Amino acid sequence: MPEQASPTSAPVRQAVVIGGNRIPFARSGGAYAYSSNQDMLIAALDGLVARFGLQGERIGEVAAGAVLKHSRDFNLTREAVLGSALSPATPAYDVQQACATGLETVVGLANKIKLGQIDSGIAGGVDSASDAPIAVSEGLRRVLLDFSRARTTQQKIRTLAGLRPKDLAPNAPTTGEPRTGLSMGEHQALTTAAWEISREAQDELAFRSHSNLAAAYERGFFSDLVTPYRGVTKDANLRADTSLEKLATLKPVFGKALPTPATMTAGNSTPLTDGASVVLLGSEDYARAHNLPMLANVVDAEAAAVDFVNGKEGLLMAPVYALPRLLQRNSLTLADFDFFEIHEAFAGTVLSSLAAWENDDFCRNQLGLEGALGTIDRAKLNVNGSSLAAGHPFAATGGRIVASLAKALSEKGSGRGLISVCAAGGQGVVAILEAR
Amino acid sequence: MSEVVLRQVPGLPALYRDAVLLAARRRFRGAAVPLTVPEIRYRADGVRVEARALTAFQHLLGEPARDTLPSAYVHAVAFPVAMSLLARPDFPLPLLGMVHLGNTVQQSRSIAVSERLDIVASAENLRAHRAGTQVDVVTEVSVEGVPVWTGRSVYLTRSVLLPATADTPTPDRPAETPFAPPVPTAVWRFDGSAGRRYAAVSGDWNPIHLSAFSAKALGMKRSIAHGMYLAARMLAQACPGPTDDLRWSIDFATPVLLPGMVAVAFTDATPSGNLQGTPREGKQLPESGLPGRSRPGGAGGTGSAHPDVTPAGRVRTDIVGWSRERSRPHFTGRVERSA
Repeated sequence: MPEQASPTSAPVRQAVVIGGNRIPFARSGGAYAYSSNQDMLIAALDGLVARFGLQGERIGEVAAGAVLKHSRDFNLTREAVLGSALSPATPAYDVQQACATGLETVVGLANKIKLGQIDSGIAGGVDSASDAPIAVSEGLRRVLLDFSRARTTQQKIRTLAGLRPKDLAPNAPTTGEPRTGLSMGEHQALTTAAWEISREAQDELAFRSHSNLAAAYERGFFSDLVTPYRGVTKDANLRADTSLEKLATLKPVFGKALPTPATMTAGNSTPLTDGASVVLLGSEDYARAHNLPMLANVVDAEAAAVDFVNGKEGLLMAPVYALPRLLQRNSLTLADFDFFEIHEAFAGTVLSSLAAWENDDFCRNQLGLEGALGTIDRAKLNVNGSSLAAGHPFAATGGRIVASLAKALSEKGSGRGLISVCAAGGQGVVAILEAR
Repeated sequence: MSEVVLRQVPGLPALYRDAVLLAARRRFRGAAVPLTVPEIRYRADGVRVEARALTAFQHLLGEPARDTLPSAYVHAVAFPVAMSLLARPDFPLPLLGMVHLGNTVQQSRSIAVSERLDIVASAENLRAHRAGTQVDVVTEVSVEGVPVWTGRSVYLTRSVLLPATADTPTPDRPAETPFAPPVPTAVWRFDGSAGRRYAAVSGDWNPIHLSAFSAKALGMKRSIAHGMYLAARMLAQACPGPTDDLRWSIDFATPVLLPGMVAVAFTDATPSGNLQGTPREGKQLPESGLPGRSRPGGAGGTGSAHPDVTPAGRVRTDIVGWSRERSRPHFTGRVERSA
């Protein structure tokens, strides 16, 4: 029996956020230094299972992913399901869209629920910057592959003779963009400078992220969103006692070769982090039948990408382009939102995006709008802290944001929330949740 | 003009070896070579491209291994034919120690890996340069009688000076425009073996690129990156797609010593109004005095075939690469193609 479709939308049923769970995020090389992606994803899943009584339950589908992924983890999510307390009859698939991975898993599963293909789903993501995959060099890889294909001993010997001493040095992953060789921080430094974002404004945003996250922990906001793991109970990057003065003492780390003064520090940039998060989604019928809460509806989402390779736009500016398209499709404006969750890859990313949406010329010429998109009320921005304070285990950030925003909407009891996540490769995803 | 038909494309190592022997003979015998370009062209017909070698080239440049040839790879395939001409004992400029000043290429359509290439190379326009003498080498690649790729490479030799005449005065050193580095959009890192790796995929085993030792023997401080490696990388980034109706040029200013790092800026230089709906009025860092198309070769430059106006319906990317430490440009380039 299909559910009642809302009068304003197409006749599909609602997909609701039932709840979420994550392990506290730890700094790279910290408490989770020896935990694998699978370990952490299972820990997050098991916490979710315990919270919502899903032991042995067959979930419609689980979708998750990791950005830094070992090749042996080709079926990471399915393996995590097999290692979790969920029913082994639960199917799963992996998603990879750089830092937008987590949000994209929510969007994909919500769409399946809306179409009636599944009744329940768990979306999520995990990343370990500590337990990063290290690959053999291209030379050694070639030799090993050719060796495995060689038929005769002679061919095998000839193949091995092609090996050079330097081929034995391994390749570690980098945060550099493959096509430009610039790190993400160096790319953001270009954008930060182009929008003339001041050091003070970035430190101020970082400070608010820490104080908002600390306050959220203080009032128990995360008590049903986070499960301790490996002795960690709170995000290890959180500095509740930081101050604008302390942030002002940090030395710039990105943009030092630019003609403008460098403004990006370790304080207003996210650190490398380990962690995992998951979100339980379902149809209204599923939630009611299992006596589960319904925090928010997943309304809609939009992805965008920009040409940063040829210097036409900043690497992390794609959400700026996605948002007006999403708003237009849903006949909404910035004034229709009560919460804005803009992922803080760098303070400069958030502030450059805000500046772009406020800029009349930019919105006219680049976004094809009639004028500036509008201003976002800072009092509604990242009210429970964001990545600068919590840390940013790439694929786990989407799940953290969706669960936190759904809970904030549920607490308020009305309104809408907007999510914006930028990603490597010049990509970005934005999404709308609404309170029930 | 007479023609030498090569039955197969010669290997470059042999050409370089002959060049060393020739240089030694010239030094000891002082054989006088006439200061005119030989009226002769070199031809190789039906040249095949090997898919595996093409793949290695494409992967080194970070390009998808398509079944069409990167425009810079066509240069690599045709290069030995041009080199055969330059290596002639009666060529006025000795091959060893020649400096590559730049290239201009026009390509009318994509070339498939399966196509047989007819390659013709000739030299022209021997002229004075403030630091020596330069010459253009023109290479034309045709498929079934239709030209598809035409390249003009400019080389400089410091050891030969043309007598200045009233008609052809020796050009003066151009006024130095101080180089103000633009905002980089990429960084290219070249390790110590970059020269050997490009040699392996391009076949250009010129000793100045291979090792510090072989480069020193030819008077360089260290080994240097192939100019065509820079050009190929520039193209791989600026037009990763099909290469139909492509024009590109590159001027080399200072060599990239290996290992080394090159800061690079790609700028969309499509004139506004060329393409509807894509104005570029957004926020960008102020242009910090890019010296435009700096002509390291002084007057004459590469004799660029590019019109200064980009025709409607075409997009243009300007590229500059420079050394961050020394704040000096390595190259400036331009890539123009159909939108």
